[in-house]
Amino acid sequence: MSRIPDDIETRLRAAAPSGISYEQKTDPLGVTVAWCELANKDELLAIAECLARCGARLSMITGSQPPAPPEVEAEESETDAGDGVAEAASPEPTLSFGGTPLDGTAYELDYHFDLAGDALTVVALVAQGSSIASLTPVYRTADWPEREIMELYGLRIVGHPDPRRLFLDKSIEPAVLERLIPFSTLTNATSTSDLWSKVMEAGKEASQ
Amino acid sequence: MTTTSIADPMSPATTTIPVGPLHVALEEPMYFRIDISGERVAHVGINAGHVHRGIEYLATKRTLIQNVVLTERICSLCSNSHPEAFAMAAEEIGGIEVPERGKYLRVIAAEVKRVASHLFNVAILAHLVGYDALFMHVMQVREIAQDLKEGVFGNRMDLGAICIGGARYDLDEETTALLRSSLDKLEPEIAEIEKTYRTNGSILRRTRDVGVLANSDAIACGVVGPVARASGVDYDVRREAPYHVYDRMPVEVKTRQDGDVWSRAMIRLHEARNAISIIRRCLDTLPTGPVNVGEKPDVPAGRAVARSEAPRGELIYFLKTGDSEQPERLKWRVPSFMNWDALTFMMRDAKVADIAIIVNSIDPCVSCTER
Repeated sequence: MSRIPDDIETRLRAAAPSGISYEQKTDPLGVTVAWCELANKDELLAIAECLARCGARLSMITGSQPPAPPEVEAEESETDAGDGVAEAASPEPTLSFGGTPLDGTAYELDYHFDLAGDALTVVALVAQGSSIASLTPVYRTADWPEREIMELYGLRIVGHPDPRRLFLDKSIEPAVLERLIPFSTLTNATSTSDLWSKVMEAGKEASQ
Repeated sequence: MTTTSIADPMSPATTTIPVGPLHVALEEPMYFRIDISGERVAHVGINAGHVHRGIEYLATKRTLIQNVVLTERICSLCSNSHPEAFAMAAEEIGGIEVPERGKYLRVIAAEVKRVASHLFNVAILAHLVGYDALFMHVMQVREIAQDLKEGVFGNRMDLGAICIGGARYDLDEETTALLRSSLDKLEPEIAEIEKTYRTNGSILRRTRDVGVLANSDAIACGVVGPVARASGVDYDVRREAPYHVYDRMPVEVKTRQDGDVWSRAMIRLHEARNAISIIRRCLDTLPTGPVNVGEKPDVPAGRAVARSEAPRGELIYFLKTGDSEQPERLKWRVPSFMNWDALTFMMRDAKVADIAIIVNSIDPCVSCTER
């Protein structure tokens, strides 16, 4: 185990030729926290291999769907009242650093690595309907976190050796975090249908 | 995670037995599908999800302040570590500097929880070995720590010691005296318990060379905490990425090379004793001044990761805030989440009778793992 090497940015750029956005900060106690956003999510595996060579440990993976940034057009349209063309055009979604449209449906994956106490987070954005490579060929520890992300979101992770559900039962519709689930449905999910069929039968018997 | 096959599970000599979901070692549900060849474990399958409650979703519907309360309720044994790491992430985004006294008080709360948590796990080990007199003795010693928590924090499990911007409690003369006298009682008792676990034949026969996790497997599984340190992985967040005032504390990170159940228990007992030295150092050098920043702290849009050493190992929080009071995303990974996978290595060729002892040796926390 070793801490973040001084030339990490050069190494990461070499692994990801499409480009990265890199920043890091060291606190007074000497702990460095770094962020590396990928321009191209297909270079994730190369980045992971680079970090594995540095002795990094994959600590956690976060999946999320960042909301679309708030539109700031309302004020502008009043001032540019005469500019009909701009008003008619449908608002283009803001693009991420790598060009992924941030329309509220894209996925953000944060891979949190540990280098002997230093933290480095690799950020990859995946457009809706697209997929990303599994890190399991490089990191055994990616297994459970990726299974969890696959059951929470509609994102496809390609190359996972065991893409079964992790916590949720297979009878539950996929992508639970992408839709509104009524509370009663949610809590029913914790009981098997056996219980309810017994309740119904008991009800029938009682009414007879 | 991928299960490890040792013998051919289809061979006629193998039988499959369910272990769990209830009462594997603790009263938390986890279901193991274990293929047995003769008296030995051939294959381990782990089925999780019995206490999945969707707390990460819930956290995005609560304000940051409310989440301090919510995160403390994820787990009981490491309850304090959750709001601690969560508050550290929020403070990082908000650029909030915790007052010195608040940092010391946070260390005291964390180490008190560590003593109680480790004693609990070691007690359960004695119970599973069948040495119930020792089990009851260790639980009785742990009761000193429980009384201490009740006296100082007003509660036996959830301390409510953390707020964004500092600590939510303070020590006065009376509570300091209680803390010191409790530590004076605990220290010789833990030293005695350590001696018993080191020398007692019943304990040694059931725990030495049982559930071995080799150093290379420990690194591959990414295990953390006492499980990692008992397999020779020299890592402790308090030393590697110091936070609060741990850089000034006598943190002794001890490792062992054998990676068996006994080594993990001995690491925990050592850490319980070390925690007492850390609390004493805090009390001796506790500065005066405010315990928190006072006003409701302002946390703008941003992102941060924060880590702390919970009793079971590295706890990591990732917080992403937007323009609203609710977090855009709050994600955490508990130490147990990493340690389950290691069970497939620990149980390789283990005796059926040792399954519960091995499961308990990772000090599993299911409600933490599944959230």
